[in-house]
Amino acid sequence: MKPTAGGQYRPLTEEAVRKIHDSALCLLSELGVEVHSRAAFETFQEHGAACDPSKQLVKIPRSMVEDAVSSAPPEVVLCGREDKHDLYCGGTNVYLGTGGTVLNVIDLETNLKRPTLLQDVRDIARLCDALENIHFMVLPVYPNDLPADEVDINRFHSSVMNCSKHLMGGVYTLKGTQQVIRMAEEIAGSPAALRKRPFVSFITCVVSPLKIDALYGDILCHVARAGLPVAIPAEPLTGATAPVTIAGLLTGLHAETLSGVVLAQLVNPGTPVFYACVGTSTDLKTMGYLSGSVEMGLINAGAAAMAQHLGLPNYTTAGMSDSKIVDAQNGYEKAITSTLVALAGSNFIHDAAGLVEFATCASYKQYVIDDEIIGMVMRAARGIEVTDETIAIEAYRRAGHGGNFLADPHTVRWMRKEHYLPKLSDRQLRVNWEKSGRPCVEEKARAAARRILREHKPLGLPEWLNDRLIGMLPELRW
Amino acid sequence: MSERIISPVPENTPNLAKQMDVLQRLCEELQQGNFDLMADLTREALRQGIEPGRILNEALVAGMDIVGDKFRRDEIFLPEVLISAKAMQASMDVLRPSLVGAGVRMAGKIVLGTVKGDIHDIGKNLVGMLREGAGYEVINLGTDVSAEKFVQSVKANQPNLVGLSALLTTTMLGMKDIIHSFVEAGVRDKIKVVVGGAPVTEDFARNVEADGYAPDAARAVEKVRELIG
Repeated sequence: MKPTAGGQYRPLTEEAVRKIHDSALCLLSELGVEVHSRAAFETFQEHGAACDPSKQLVKIPRSMVEDAVSSAPPEVVLCGREDKHDLYCGGTNVYLGTGGTVLNVIDLETNLKRPTLLQDVRDIARLCDALENIHFMVLPVYPNDLPADEVDINRFHSSVMNCSKHLMGGVYTLKGTQQVIRMAEEIAGSPAALRKRPFVSFITCVVSPLKIDALYGDILCHVARAGLPVAIPAEPLTGATAPVTIAGLLTGLHAETLSGVVLAQLVNPGTPVFYACVGTSTDLKTMGYLSGSVEMGLINAGAAAMAQHLGLPNYTTAGMSDSKIVDAQNGYEKAITSTLVALAGSNFIHDAAGLVEFATCASYKQYVIDDEIIGMVMRAARGIEVTDETIAIEAYRRAGHGGNFLADPHTVRWMRKEHYLPKLSDRQLRVNWEKSGRPCVEEKARAAARRILREHKPLGLPEWLNDRLIGMLPELRW
Repeated sequence: MSERIISPVPENTPNLAKQMDVLQRLCEELQQGNFDLMADLTREALRQGIEPGRILNEALVAGMDIVGDKFRRDEIFLPEVLISAKAMQASMDVLRPSLVGAGVRMAGKIVLGTVKGDIHDIGKNLVGMLREGAGYEVINLGTDVSAEKFVQSVKANQPNLVGLSALLTTTMLGMKDIIHSFVEAGVRDKIKVVVGGAPVTEDFARNVEADGYAPDAARAVEKVRELIG
């Protein structure tokens, strides 16, 4: 797949970017980061950061940040198990996909909210494998029917079995992280083969404001040592865990995600890392988390601009909604945030498919609807191609004055590639729409999801390989 | 557009196979909309002594039927149908004298026009092209056509069917007067009248005592087949 470059929308001026960057470096060197992971703290200490063990405080000097930024690769290729799904994350290339992890799903048949099970991990993976505009899968749901220490490995295994796109996931235990890496090495053929074509990657996090947690700090060190791609997002919320202003939030975010980037580069220089943002706004009437505000689009577009300034690949968030159902709010919140962040040229925009209700609930039909939104967003990001061929003077000559371009070869040659062809939108005349039973997007999406789950055959794993994995990892449910 | 060149049929090919080959290729190039190849292929078919009626029905009309089916199944778009219709016209320009000479009758004759006061013609032309594609002879009177002009054309050409088109809600009302003029001129029972255009509905068609209505160009062809065979 040829990458699509966005970047037409510049949410920050050069001067603004520099000001935020300098202010964030002040935060890191003066206020510092509280580091609760012993492995992380010791790493900072060994490399000469000013550390205060009594307060678990690490002050990161400017030079340490600059060294980390230059040792981190400017492009990270996140591979699919088939190379048509490879993602060239860097510059202003744009990809969008799913996000998680949520505990509930809107059932496809009953339309009711219920807890997610391992079968939902499988079914949603298969759905995402089939939906062509969803570029990658961040593991979306939590299997409530498994004991906690079996969740990590089973989530990844069930996803690999059903989806050959790149899989990125949050992990909850160190043991789970180790198991997932081992399984992925086995599937890739060898540890080296996995590093060459990483089809899995990880998400860890920095807590806002300015704190590295014990477990996530340990996981970050482990993944960095393993040399696999890792996104290190912070999730600052305006007025709650960050200043209420967007510039204030971006400054904290910049410091927080860079503290993770520095840690990863200190552990293993050259580790493929993502500058990452899950920041959004807070409803200060209720202190509630918001996922579909227009400001969340601005925040994540701003984060992409900050990462581009440093030449780091970025992971951001967009395409979510606070609505509980398929309605106008759902559509406009998803469309506007995805459009803003994609046009800003963000590389890996997650949470953009399948989620409703403040991104706390998945929905089968929503994946199909969001696939359509992403298709349109990608068309916008692709922009307007201007060449002699697209200007089409010859077609004007053939049409003549007052003629038309309907039966012109140029029309036939370009109509499909120039225009996004929606699968769900209704474009019929009213009379035909009424005759066909007044179809609506929601019902069309449900029907499409049902059809995919009934018919779609994913790549899966060869039986011998799967048997070997089951022998190796007794926790696998299958 | 592909840049294919027509390769000559090998000399030793048996005659029947040669004929099938050229009919097949006409049918395929028509479906691909390769209108620039159609005239030469049609001449080649005639040179091989294939009856003009067979060229029309087995290659051209058969090809347009396939195109029409694909269009109804949403597999192709309108411009692809039109470009095939254009290919058919390119072939017909070569074929027409031979059809006349051989006494081959077209499926029927149709007079088309946009009604007085209205100069919109893309939709009507589209209907015309598709009906030609279905094997009908189409006489296109253009736009802003008065009732008198419609009546004159019916008397002179003796069509089986007249199609009235309008895009404006105001000019659409003139359809009633035109149909009334056919009654006054004593030709109403010799023709079927179909009406179409964006504002026209089935109810309106019944109201003005037309014989038929179709909501889009593809169904306009079906309607004609239903009314005059």
